[in-house]
Amino acid sequence: MLIEFIVCYFAVVAFGIIFNGPIRMIWIGGVIGAISWLIYSTLPTFDISFVFATAVASLTAATCSHLLAKWLRVPVTMFSIQGIIPLVPGSKAYYTMLAFLDGEYIEGIQIGIDTMLQAGAIAAGLVFALAIFSFGKGGIGQRYEAKRP
Amino acid sequence: MNNTIGGILSMKADRMMDICLLAGEIMLTYGAETYRVEETLERMAKACHFKNVHCFVMTTGIFLSFEEKGKGDVMQMVRVDDRLQDLNKIALVNQVSRELVSGQINGDKAWKKLKDIAKRKVYYPPYLIHIASGVAGGTFSYLFGGNAYDAIPAFFAGFSASWILLFFQEYFQVRFFAEFMAAFLGGAVAIVLVIIGIGENVDQVIIGTLMPLVPGIPLTNAVRDLMSGDLIAGLSRGAETFITALSIATGIALAIALLL
Repeated sequence: MLIEFIVCYFAVVAFGIIFNGPIRMIWIGGVIGAISWLIYSTLPTFDISFVFATAVASLTAATCSHLLAKWLRVPVTMFSIQGIIPLVPGSKAYYTMLAFLDGEYIEGIQIGIDTMLQAGAIAAGLVFALAIFSFGKGGIGQRYEAKRP
Repeated sequence: MNNTIGGILSMKADRMMDICLLAGEIMLTYGAETYRVEETLERMAKACHFKNVHCFVMTTGIFLSFEEKGKGDVMQMVRVDDRLQDLNKIALVNQVSRELVSGQINGDKAWKKLKDIAKRKVYYPPYLIHIASGVAGGTFSYLFGGNAYDAIPAFFAGFSASWILLFFQEYFQVRFFAEFMAAFLGGAVAIVLVIIGIGENVDQVIIGTLMPLVPGIPLTNAVRDLMSGDLIAGLSRGAETFITALSIATGIALAIALLL
């Protein structure tokens, strides 16, 4: 577990370099990414589905990113991109493609739906954190102008 | 006219328009979200006492209009062709706009700083990005269930994928082709290395190779844009992410079909 944490830390820092993040920030982003990987890999051992684990990990990463971005006065993208990188369903997408390549369409669709769900869970976590941190700012594109004076 | 606040009030609308559009162009080119560009430009224009500020940003262009007191409206647009990834420049422009809005620097100094940022090279030298891509490949092949021995071919494959991506970017106008070739040749390197006998699990090695090519910045920006109401920008970024992912998958599939 500790080894995975350290390996994931270096993976996420490497991604920070790929995305050209400022050097002061990518070290911090690495910690966020490693934490989100830790949550994502630990929760399924407690009989929690991987989709929910992804959503929780993504929510945690996005919350940390928002707090740190407010504190250090930098755009939040800097941290949230690094935070969600370990959750990207790269292996599931690969196995989907492999199944389609072998002509096993049913299996391909099964894993493909898993991939979609995991990607959706990442988005859900990001959006939920965004909603929390934009509380009180008022809506964009809401349905009714209930408070119109 | 009152000229007390650091000369900001006396700024011409034309000049302010140039400053705003340069800031917006840098941010949009290097991968900022749409809402951030709009908000930054509107804040900068409002801080310099222009009225009736409107800004419309898409993934490929910026429109900005505001009203100069007693002279009528000004409106300009810029077209943004490149979509690169450099988070450092976004942070720098953010800093400049913050200083301008709070009145620490005036327009001329902001213009000089923005010009400097626009001219600046990539924050990390290309070889460091290639090495980082290799490290990301190796570590992710380990995280997705490979063993430590698999990290070596994944490192070399990730390194060559990033190198090929930068190499082909120069020569082709279609951007997805560079990613296709990077995935194809990177996958080929990975498969050949495993066939030679370096590394054991070919699946994990290939997954590690394609992880550095994942379009992380457009993906997060697409989600953010859609949720903050910039529907056109969000959809276009989502389409970009989707086509990039599809071209990576096609490249890897071709490599597997040919070699495995």
